[in-house]
This record gives sequence, structure tokens and C-alpha cells, in this order.
Amino acid sequence: MQNPAIEYDYTVARWFSYLAILFGILGMGIGVWIAFELAFPELNYVAGQYSLFSRLRPLHTNIVAYGFTLSGIWATWYYVGQRVLKVSMAESKFLMFVGKLHFWLYFLGTLAAVVSLLLRYTTSKEYAQFEWPFDIVVVLIWVLWGISIFGLIGIRREKTLYISMWYYIATFLGVAMLYLFNNMEVPTFLITGMGDPLHSVSMYAGTNDAMVQWWFGHNAVAFVFTVPIIAMIYYFLPKESGQPVYSYKLSLLSFWGLMFVYLWAGGHHLIYSTVPDWMQTMGSIFSVILILPSWGSALNMLLTMKGEWGQLKENPLIKFMVLASTFYMLATLEGPIQSIKSVNALAHFTDWIPGHVHDGTLGWVGFMIIAAIMHMAPRFFKREIYSRKLLEIQFWLQTTGIVLYFSSMWIAGITQGMMWRAVDQYGNLAYSFIDTVTVLHPYYTLRAIGGLFYLTGTFMWAYNFFKTMTASRAIEKEPQFASPMAA
Amino acid sequence: MDARLIQGAAYLVLIIFLTIVLYGYIMHLYRSEKKGKRNYEKYGKMALDDELTSPPVEPLEENEKESK
Amino acid sequence: MFSWLERNPFFFAVGVFIVIAFAGLIEIVPDFAQQSRPVAGAKPYTLLQLAGRQVYIKESCNACHSQLIRPFKSETDRYGMYSLNGEYAYDRPFLWGSKRTGPDLHRVGNYRTSDWHANHFWDPPAIVPGSIMPAYRHLYKNVTDLETAYAEALTVKKVFNVPYDKDIDGDGKVDVPLGTFEQAKKQALQDALKVAEETKRKDLVDMVKQGKIPEVVALIAYLNRLK
Repeated sequence: MQNPAIEYDYTVARWFSYLAILFGILGMGIGVWIAFELAFPELNYVAGQYSLFSRLRPLHTNIVAYGFTLSGIWATWYYVGQRVLKVSMAESKFLMFVGKLHFWLYFLGTLAAVVSLLLRYTTSKEYAQFEWPFDIVVVLIWVLWGISIFGLIGIRREKTLYISMWYYIATFLGVAMLYLFNNMEVPTFLITGMGDPLHSVSMYAGTNDAMVQWWFGHNAVAFVFTVPIIAMIYYFLPKESGQPVYSYKLSLLSFWGLMFVYLWAGGHHLIYSTVPDWMQTMGSIFSVILILPSWGSALNMLLTMKGEWGQLKENPLIKFMVLASTFYMLATLEGPIQSIKSVNALAHFTDWIPGHVHDGTLGWVGFMIIAAIMHMAPRFFKREIYSRKLLEIQFWLQTTGIVLYFSSMWIAGITQGMMWRAVDQYGNLAYSFIDTVTVLHPYYTLRAIGGLFYLTGTFMWAYNFFKTMTASRAIEKEPQFASPMAA
Repeated sequence: MDARLIQGAAYLVLIIFLTIVLYGYIMHLYRSEKKGKRNYEKYGKMALDDELTSPPVEPLEENEKESK
Repeated sequence: MFSWLERNPFFFAVGVFIVIAFAGLIEIVPDFAQQSRPVAGAKPYTLLQLAGRQVYIKESCNACHSQLIRPFKSETDRYGMYSLNGEYAYDRPFLWGSKRTGPDLHRVGNYRTSDWHANHFWDPPAIVPGSIMPAYRHLYKNVTDLETAYAEALTVKKVFNVPYDKDIDGDGKVDVPLGTFEQAKKQALQDALKVAEETKRKDLVDMVKQGKIPEVVALIAYLNRLK
């Protein structure tokens, strides 16, 4: 029945992988740079106004979230999607075209949006800074992805959708809904016919805008940094280790648990603000409940390795993925702790928050994408991975980087939070604001060094990938489980 | 009607409904496995045997045979 | 029901969507009308202030500065009265920020002056030793885009009924005039001249007199309004 000539077509997956590496280096590079700027402010001026911290910070967040992470998600989608549905993109000219269009529109759109941020076009809403024309491009990109998902499902051979597919579909729907509602804005030029054509004004005002923004902001984290990454690990960890998921039933339950609980937790970004009290409390409570489905997924991943822990020693890709699950557990425990009202009073507005975010992004998202792309590389190029040793060194270097990052930010955040509220014996504030800034210098330095470690690892990853593509030893057929690698 | 009240009621109803659904789902998962109707764990294989040439865990053609 | 859902991707997707959309529906929508009511006496931004606000946004000041004073003694001691819902009624978008790398600015107009700002933007560490804020000297040369600010004001007036050219407090006078672009620009230049003179910087005053408002002047006008 099968046509032996048909093979999985990895063209689009490969393209997105290149892009993930490119945006990874760019986004993390800017991140490291601005981390150093906080420690050594003179660095703000190297490129005039274009290197000011405030200009580059949105660039950093947008490139890592929407450049690096989305590329990684799509690289794996165009790979995993075919495989778990058992259908090749080569079987449909239409879907192939959609995939390629998706790629180019995304690539060019992201570049243009990034340039617009450099030129000060921003709506100022975090992770939704792009002005309205770019939002429309984003919508188009999203629609193309939707066509790709449901088109591929339409011609599938496997009746039941594998759990990864569930998560990809949820990503698609979740982001579509959130992005649309949060970016509701009125282009001022269209109404008045004057001023800058790119300028727009938010449909919501003040507290409403804040509610919509953090409902979006929080769940953008859910549906960009969590849900699709779980989709990845549910495929790549079993595949690389040759072990089926520990409990498929648990994975289904965690899925629904996560879908239901996550959306309610957005209120924890607005604790002690002017949004209604009940909503703050709800955000708090649901954040704590969120531990359950999150840990359900994470434990499921770790237990998949049951009895096979020897692989952890031998296979650096397994190392990356197991540590990713571990960081996922850490981040999903840390988040709820920060959502508790009394803790939030201390932690909000401090460096503990970026510390928490980077636990998740560097440890969980970054590691998972790195592992996934390195797993795919031998399949893309029919060559073994260029160097196991390099992967090992990268792993330890990046792990050290993350530890430096979050430990320094924990200390910095708690120090600053405590100093803001400290009073002397008469009940007056003990410190002026600038005291709470200068005290952070050593931690900012340490954090930047941690980031530099991670960035170095990213360069090693890029090199290893490039060498795998060009100079590594060829393999006759696609490996079934563990990715072959040269010492 | 007070918007607050609708909000609270809708919230409560949803929570109860979803809790029931979730527990129902757990029961469904285990019961269908016990009865031998369907073994969910076999779907885990989908990630492992994912060559184009490997037989699907559940081919699409069987659609009519066990629709419930 | 469950096994059916697992095999019908379309209905599965609908199910997922309902589950994730419900939270937003219940949590956010019902409070919308209530949240957007301004506190008594709140007035929309004048053209110059709005232009300054756009500069604030363009330069992503909100990456390091919050505009939200939480109801703790340590915060009200440091920054002033805690923030109220209705104070933000004309803020599109909101600018609460999420990180205080620098201090909160929601009431900065109460304790900083135009000349303080003018010196500070030029060289922050000279005014606040140890400050890690960079200088924003390009704002002294860039000319404020009044046209876009006017477009925004007119848009919110038309689309969201923001009370420009209206008597808000009932004293029989128009509180925040907007008028035509020419009128609004004239008013903005007047306001700007006042701020520029307060900064005691001749270059800024000269620019305003030539009809070009430096961005820093608009920004300071906005910051002075935050009270």
C-alpha cells in the first residue's frame, strides 16, 4: 500500500531550524549585552540611541520569544507533525506551498517588526509591542500555520492524534485568541488621516488595558513557552530514549488540567494593583493549583526514563531534555510561590521576576529547542552529530550559566524588595531608591556573566549544527532512536 | 440582574462542570482499559514507530468499526 | 464521548477553545464598564502631554519604570498616595510597567521639577550619583511629532468619547481644549514655551520659539502632569 518512494519531507523543518539558531544567537546576544549595560551603564552609548537599554530590551524579549522560540516550535511542528500523523508533506503540493509561504512570511515579517522596534515604533504593551500593520502580518502567519495543522490532519494515516498534536493545536488556538484580543487597537491615521500611519491607540484604557494585557501576557507564556514545548518533549524524549511515555493517560489528564487552569492564573501579574480584589485572589489561587498539571507533565517525562537512567550518562541530548523537565518543575513551583500575595508584595517589580522567567526560558524552553534541533539534525542531513564532546561541554556551560543567572537574580530581587520596605527605628524609610540600585551591581555583573556562559553555549550549538550539516560522517539510514554522534 | 452575581454563578457552574468532566475522564480512561475496550498506553507507541512505512497504531480505515 | 473527541480534531479544537476562552469571558468582560470610569476631576491629556506620553512610550521608559503605587506604607511614603483605578481612565495604553529598575513615576510631578528633569535626562549620574540610567540626549534634538499626537487625541475623542472640548467639572468652561490642529498646535507651543523656560536651558527655549518642540520638553510636560 505504501509508496516506497515517498519519504518525510523536512525542507520547512530545516529552514525553521536555521532560523531558530539565527534568532537564538541574535536574541540572546542582545540579552547578554543589555545585562552588561545594567552592570556597566557606559555600554549604553556604543551605538548612540540604538543601544540604549530601553530600546534594546523589547528587542531582546521579542526576538527570543517570537524569533527563537516560535522558529523552534515550527521547526519541530513541521517535523513531528508529519511523523506522528504518518503522512509526508511531499504528498501534498498545497501543504508544501503553505509551509514555505509560512516560513517566508514569518521570516520577513519578523525582520521588519524588529527593525520597527529599533526605530521606536512600539505599542509599549509587553510581548505585544508590534504596531498594527505587523499585527496583521502575525495574524496571516498564524492562519497559514492553522491551515498547515488542519491540512496535515486532514490527510493523516494515523487515526488518533498523538498527545503532542493536542498541544500544538492548543498552542495554535490559544495564541490566536489571546493575540487578537490584546492587540485590538485603532490606527489613528485611518480615523483622522494625519500623523504617523503606523501609530495606533489601544482599544482599552487604563485598568482594562492592564487586565487584557496580563491575561494575554501570562497566557502568551503559557501558549508559547509551555504548551508547545511540552508538545516537543512528549515526542523527542520518548523517541530519543526509545521509551514510550511513562503514562499516556497521565499526559491526557495533564493536558486538560493545564488548559483549564492556566487561563485563570493571569491575575497574579496584577496583585495589589487597581484590578478587582477577587481577581487578584483568583490569580493567586489558580497559580498554586497550576502546580498540579505542570508537575503531572514534568513527572511523566522524568518517569519515562525509569530504568533507563543509564542513558543520562551516555547521551547528552537526554541530559538536555531531563534537565529541561527539571527546570520546568522548578519554574512551575517558583511561579506559584511568587503568586502568593505576601510573597508577591515583596517580589513584584524586582529582579526576582526576570530571574524566574529565565529559569523557564533558558532552562526549559532553550534546552528543549536545542535538544530537539540536535535530534532532528542527523535526520535532516543523514549524517551523525558532529561532536558529542562539544554537546557535553555546551550542556555544562549552559547549566552553569543558568545557575549563575537565577541565583544572582534571587538574591538581587529579595535584597531589593527588602530594602524598599526597610524602615529605621522611627519608622522612616531606611534607604533612598538609588541605594537599592547600587547595591545590585555585583549581582547584575554575575547575571551578565551567567548569560554570557549560556550565549557561548549557543554558539557552540550553532557550530555543532553547522558541522553536522557539512562535515560529519554520513549514515546510511535514518536512526530509529538515539541520535548517532561522533565522539 | 447584577453582573457580579452572574459572574459568580457562571464561575461556580463551570468549576463544578469541569470537575465532573475531569473525573469522568479519569474514570473513562481506566475503565475502558480494564474492560479491554481500549488500551490508552498503546498510543505512546506513536512517537516510537513513526516511520512512514511502519503500520499506524490505529489506521484511519477502521473508522467505522469502533466509533464509540 | 471522550474517545469520540479524541478522534475528531475539529470538535476537539472547539472543546479546547471553550475551555480556554471561558476564563477570559468570566474574569474580564463583566468588569469592563466599571473599570473605565474616571475619578472625579480626571482630565484627558493636553496635546503636549499626550505627545510627551508618546515619547515616553517610544523610548520604552516603561521597561524600567512603573506607574503603579501599591497600597503599602513603604510605597506611599516613597511615592505618594497609592494609585486609583479611575486615574488611569485616559491611559491608552496603560503604562504600569512590570519592573522597577528605576523608581515609580506615577506621581513624579509632585516632587520633581522641569529643570531637574532637563538636567537629569542630559546626564543622570551627575544628578543622582550611582544611577545606571543612560542619558537621553537625542531627545534634546528630536522634534516632537505633534501631528501624530493630535491624530491620537482626535481618534480617542471621536472613537472613545474622551471629553476634549468639553466642560468636565461643570464650571462652565472647557477644561481641555483640542479644537483644530492649528489651534491645538498653538496651545501646545505656548505650553511648551512655559516648560522650556522652566528648564532654564536656552537651546530648548530657542527651539520652541522657532516652532519646534524638542521631545524632551514634551516628555517633561507629561511627567509634570503625573501627580
